[in-house]
Amino acid sequence: MRRTQLTLRLLLLLGLSLGIAAIDTITDLEIAVGVFQIAVVLIAVRVLPARAVAAVSAVCMVLTILSYRLTRFGDTEAGLINVLISLAAIAGTTYLALRLSAAISTVHRTRAHLAHIARVNMLGELAASIAHEVNQPLAAVATSSSAALRWMAAEPANLPKAREAVERILDDTHRASEIIARLRGMARHQAPTKQWLNVADTLNAALRLLAGELNEQGVTLRVHVQESLPPMLADEVQIQQVILNLAMNGIDAMRQLEEDRRILELHAALDTDHQLHFSVSDQGKGLSGNDHERVFDAFYSTKDEGMGMGLAISRSIIEAHDGRIWVTSNPQSGATFHFTLPAVTRDVDESE
Amino acid sequence: MNQNDPADSMIYIVDDDHSVRASLQDLLASVGLASMAFGSAREFMAARLPDAPACLVLDVRMPGMSGLDFQQEMARLNIQIPVVFITAHGDIPMSVKAMKAGALEFLTKPFREQDLLDAISQGLDRDRQRRHAAGLMDELQRRYAGLTDGERDVMGLVVSGLLNKQVAARLGLSEVTVKVRRGALMRKMNADSLATLVKMSEKLKEVDR
Repeated sequence: MRRTQLTLRLLLLLGLSLGIAAIDTITDLEIAVGVFQIAVVLIAVRVLPARAVAAVSAVCMVLTILSYRLTRFGDTEAGLINVLISLAAIAGTTYLALRLSAAISTVHRTRAHLAHIARVNMLGELAASIAHEVNQPLAAVATSSSAALRWMAAEPANLPKAREAVERILDDTHRASEIIARLRGMARHQAPTKQWLNVADTLNAALRLLAGELNEQGVTLRVHVQESLPPMLADEVQIQQVILNLAMNGIDAMRQLEEDRRILELHAALDTDHQLHFSVSDQGKGLSGNDHERVFDAFYSTKDEGMGMGLAISRSIIEAHDGRIWVTSNPQSGATFHFTLPAVTRDVDESE
Repeated sequence: MNQNDPADSMIYIVDDDHSVRASLQDLLASVGLASMAFGSAREFMAARLPDAPACLVLDVRMPGMSGLDFQQEMARLNIQIPVVFITAHGDIPMSVKAMKAGALEFLTKPFREQDLLDAISQGLDRDRQRRHAAGLMDELQRRYAGLTDGERDVMGLVVSGLLNKQVAARLGLSEVTVKVRRGALMRKMNADSLATLVKMSEKLKEVDR
């Protein structure tokens, strides 16, 4: 899909370049239509990779020289100067445009990198403050326990004091679990706002967001959505977040592969009358036995730069939707992430 | 704040967390240590503290002045109570900073109670020694203040190694007068020998500096 797109763009640019050369040929040598080849180069820079831009620019130059040789009318000397000016303009434009596009992509990369660092820092801050919050009651519990033991060990044992200490322990234990409950609530943001969703539309909306990344990484996407799936009752943004997460992981897992082996597959089908089954498969390295159990844990990541949050969040979203999420290894290579969501077939829908 | 019987020492606890304060006070009470607890460094500074050997258990992270800032502030105000830090999220740079500034111990919550008790007892020992040394110094200064100007002049020259005769010549006094003043100042300073007097004089100079 990607290759044909590239060929199409090249053909269109070639046509434009040929058109300019043709006009250049039929006009007098004094009229430097060849300069307009720079338009071809400028378009090429926006839609093609650097090497292809250089090739396009070379073709433009060759066509300019050809058209000079073929032009019948006009002053040869003026024509020669015009051709040289045109060639210089095309070469200069190509050089500057490529430099500029390299600079722009550096800016993009840097910005993405910064955003990542900011996220990681924020997470570090968050982790530190959670650690502090939870540690306070834990410290109090540990200290009170020691005090209680000492009161009981005293001769004679001071039971009222020991009892007070144990009551404090109870209070602090509740306090710690309240902090954790609050954190869980925060992590979930809010209860999902569920609505009736068309499965195919939801998937397509998520995949549109991925188009840029797929294109950039040269990943081929294969989507298989079963016909006439029943609607699902779910939070659209959250489900798309899960799909994006799984797909981005798949894309990341295939970075080391050659481009034609980078294939991401997405399936959606009705498992039983009451269950939709989604899966995202990649062709990457796959997961080791240990990873299978731990990938969904928070802060666990198999990626060097990963934060270990994506799958943990995905799991909490899917579970909040009464679904299940798991991972299997593919027979040849790579991993498949599955999740299920309750499906609502018509009769259930009407009975409600 | 604590209803323990008046003990010969006092532990101050500064921590913003109520539960931590309560449990620490109880733990200290269970081993017979009197304590006072404060929710912030400001409260601690505002309180009237008993005159007894003490040790301060200080939380690092508190709203307002942090424990580490407060440690600096204490150094600036020349408050010399030994400090044991407790923190819920300690890191190495933080503990290094605290220890360099003279903290006795840096414990991460939740800590082993024995570690805390050991640190506190070490802190109390240190404070007792410091107070003892400071008490001797006060006594020495009080004695020195009791000397007459003439006796002080004689003392200054005697401890520098001059003989009575030389002292008399320097001050333009008779040798007998010097002998009388020397005897009086030895008595007032409670020094049994010239060597002891020289040591006292050295100590007094240290404080002047």
